[in-house]
Amino acid sequence: MADRNFSVGRTLIYAALVLMAVWYLAPLYVMLTTSLKSLDEIHSGNLLSLPHHFSLDAWFDAWGTDCVGSEDCTGAGMKGYFVNSLKMMVPAVLISTLIGAFNGYILSMWRFKGSDTFFMALLIGTFLPFQVVILPMAQVLAKLGIENSTGRLVLVHVVYGLQFTTLFFRNYYVTVPGELVKAARIDGAGFFRIFFKILLPLSIPTIMVCLIWQVTQIWNDFLFGVVFSSGEAQPITVGLNNLVNTSTGVKHYNVDMAAAIIAAIPTLFVYAVGSKYFVRGLTAGAVKG
Amino acid sequence: MGALSIRNVKKSYGDTHILKGIDIEIDKGQFLILVGPSGCGKSTLLNMIAGLDDITSGEIAIGERVVNKLSPKDRDIAMVFQSYALYPNMTVRKNIAFGLDIRKVPKAEQDEIIGRVAKTLQIEHLLDRKPQQLSGGQRQRVAMGRALARNPSLFLFDEPLSNLDAKLRVEVRSEIKQLHQRLGTTIVYVTHDQIEAMTLGDRIAVMKDGEVKQFGTPQQIYDEPANMYVAGFIGSPPMNFIPCTLAEIDGRAAVTVDSGSGSHTLRLGPLSEAQRAFVGKSIVLGIRPEQLTDPASAHSDNPDLQEFDAIAEILEPTGPDTLVTLKLNGARAVARCHPSMALHTGVKMHLALDPSKAVMFDPATENRLA
Amino acid sequence: MTAQRQGAPGSTFNRLADIVLPKFVIAPTVIACLVGFYGFIAWTAWLSFTNSHMLPNYDWDGIARYQQLFEDERWWHSMQNLGVFGVLFIGISLGLGLLMAILLDQKIRGEGFLRTIYLYPMALSFIVTGTAWRWMLDPGFGLEKLVHDLGWTSFSFDWIVDPDKAIYTVVLAGVWQSSGFVMALFLAGLRGIDDSIIKAAQIDGASLPTIYARIIIPSLRPVFLSAFMILAHIAVKSFDLVMALTGGGPGFATDLPSIYMYQHSFTRNQLGLGAASAMMMLFTACAVVMPLLYSELRRDKRG
Repeated sequence: MADRNFSVGRTLIYAALVLMAVWYLAPLYVMLTTSLKSLDEIHSGNLLSLPHHFSLDAWFDAWGTDCVGSEDCTGAGMKGYFVNSLKMMVPAVLISTLIGAFNGYILSMWRFKGSDTFFMALLIGTFLPFQVVILPMAQVLAKLGIENSTGRLVLVHVVYGLQFTTLFFRNYYVTVPGELVKAARIDGAGFFRIFFKILLPLSIPTIMVCLIWQVTQIWNDFLFGVVFSSGEAQPITVGLNNLVNTSTGVKHYNVDMAAAIIAAIPTLFVYAVGSKYFVRGLTAGAVKG
Repeated sequence: MGALSIRNVKKSYGDTHILKGIDIEIDKGQFLILVGPSGCGKSTLLNMIAGLDDITSGEIAIGERVVNKLSPKDRDIAMVFQSYALYPNMTVRKNIAFGLDIRKVPKAEQDEIIGRVAKTLQIEHLLDRKPQQLSGGQRQRVAMGRALARNPSLFLFDEPLSNLDAKLRVEVRSEIKQLHQRLGTTIVYVTHDQIEAMTLGDRIAVMKDGEVKQFGTPQQIYDEPANMYVAGFIGSPPMNFIPCTLAEIDGRAAVTVDSGSGSHTLRLGPLSEAQRAFVGKSIVLGIRPEQLTDPASAHSDNPDLQEFDAIAEILEPTGPDTLVTLKLNGARAVARCHPSMALHTGVKMHLALDPSKAVMFDPATENRLA
Repeated sequence: MTAQRQGAPGSTFNRLADIVLPKFVIAPTVIACLVGFYGFIAWTAWLSFTNSHMLPNYDWDGIARYQQLFEDERWWHSMQNLGVFGVLFIGISLGLGLLMAILLDQKIRGEGFLRTIYLYPMALSFIVTGTAWRWMLDPGFGLEKLVHDLGWTSFSFDWIVDPDKAIYTVVLAGVWQSSGFVMALFLAGLRGIDDSIIKAAQIDGASLPTIYARIIIPSLRPVFLSAFMILAHIAVKSFDLVMALTGGGPGFATDLPSIYMYQHSFTRNQLGLGAASAMMMLFTACAVVMPLLYSELRRDKRG
């Protein structure tokens, strides 16, 4: 199957693949160019046309609440929402990763009666549509008196992120020979020392996978954001959706696109930097059954 | 006082009984082998001695102390694993020092210990390398070094040679033997390889299905196997089992075998009480391959030597011998003949039997008739 | 030397610590799981049997909410939409993903580069995807206008505002986002196939398409299963994508059970009804996933 000669077959294959690549890149191109055009240009041109006058007005508009530029502006204020998402994402990712690491360690090296059953129960949770837990969760959050939106979201994302983080670490640790832990126990190491001195140094790739997965999931989440936060404290996905769906006045497509790109930048950056870990995470999470 | 006492130890998971009552006692400085096929419970027993697994009932004592309730760290033991289990992110030196650090051994003493151990095992030049940079044999030595540095009262080995290739296995095996002779340590060694068992051990416990089928010195196990399982397990090629009927001639045992070229009556040793009860009944005769050979190689001054003819079915030259497969009473039997003998398959050949070490078994219980 | 031989003090503690600590450390997660998943499901189930409106009211009301649900045309329409969307989304994503994986497996130059491009949509939020495609499919300024500008003036593509066709735009955007991921799964699966099986087939004289059809694709069965379950899960949960792309419209043309649930629970103050619809979503997800899991488990036991 390996001759790299240029036959009709191979040309077709390359053509198909390139066509697919164009299809995938098109929205990105469109978003970018639209965000750099003025409204007039948008109305007069089309999706593919490049901006004649590169204008960053839409970006400033999207980002801040002050308005720049001659058109009626939106005061979108993506900056605020961006910070909200950041404030929620960082603790949630770190906490869920740390707890997931310990859980994976316990479920692979310190099994006890019922731990495997528990793991199955946790795993089944990954299939649940979250709609079925948000109503009670809202009640509990109210009863616990957690008024702060960021706090609520961190709690929710940690609780519902544990299934994945635990899965990642457990699936990795079961490939580490159990004899390593036995040798350490005989050497005299206890539960925590074994984790920190022996297993954690081995776990760097899995930690990367877990961080990247969690950052993506939590940053991109919408449902929890829209249900558990309100007003100024909402995360960027909710802010973006609100912006794009306002039906009053003129539609500022360029601002919408700029705002969308702002919302997409962190996860795209994480993807660009760690794409191999990203793929590992996806495929690891998929090999559950 | 035993260095290790295992008293009626049982282990079950719910209704599954892994160990059904193990009793073993060894003295200080002895080399105990636990040998048997996979699933016989030998590794489980080792884990229980180490404290890595709980005991369902019974007692394990190391020295004078009953250790049932002690964690591995407090039992004064060290263990060498099949997969070496070296800490991958640490250098060899740190691997050896890990346990010493935990026990708060002063740095100066640590260095002295590591130096001494490295010299004994000839791994001084490897001290600053990481495990990934070592070969299999080197890793195993480092693993032994880590165990040695702790200077424990009991050494445990869990199939340490299984991951090594054949040549290395023989080398490291003799290194372990030398180490034992020099240091006089008490060792418990688990293996499935009966050659390791015979060459290394002072005492062997042959296990099957969670029970000790026989416990004794290598020679005892070889010459006086308690049952057909032990007889067939130890020795390669395995002991020949020939079904026949026991007869008595002149107060001595005798059996008739059909070797494919006629019936022959073989006279064996004097009958014991237990054996006499089986005269006229079926027994299983056990003869080791080296007791069946060509007449020229046999000790011709042995007055009990019996000669008879048989048809050679398969010939397997091994270098030092040629293994000849024949049929006796319909059962496959292997004889060890001199390699220079001109043998052809399907042709009748002349054999000599040394009956002095032949053993008899009760076909129903499979126990030896002593 | 003697310092290494002591044993007794603190020894029972060590043993107990080894037994107790793991259970202690995993306890919070166990509680979070039991309460946050199973407990909450039971709670939602209870709510679905009550007549709660804006605030929960825990008096038993029987299956009245379910009756109400099943009599609501909007609900059935949303389930129907889910069916259409689900089948198309899953089917096309699987097919496209498999095709791309097979193509990419042909020792392509720049494979890594192409893979990066195919996969990046998974890094985006569905809101961003929905927003981008909403713009691109805008009847006035999007695809339609582009094609007009290129010369084909009679081209019309107003699917996104067409009640009959809008659901297909959701399929389009969904496939765009997820097919790269399916491709990654299949590619990993293809690479995991033992080369010697293929060589044996070649020696037997099989042609390349035959090898693909009769040997390679059947051995990708576990990957199909995994991909299917994940795509099905995404489909049932789909909320973000539709909200951003069409808002559920035009009218209720792209309404989905998830939107129905959200609106009734939070904007229309009908908690009981919302809870009932959430339970139905759960049953749908289970109904799709469980039979497959079951048949695969049985297959493993046999084979």
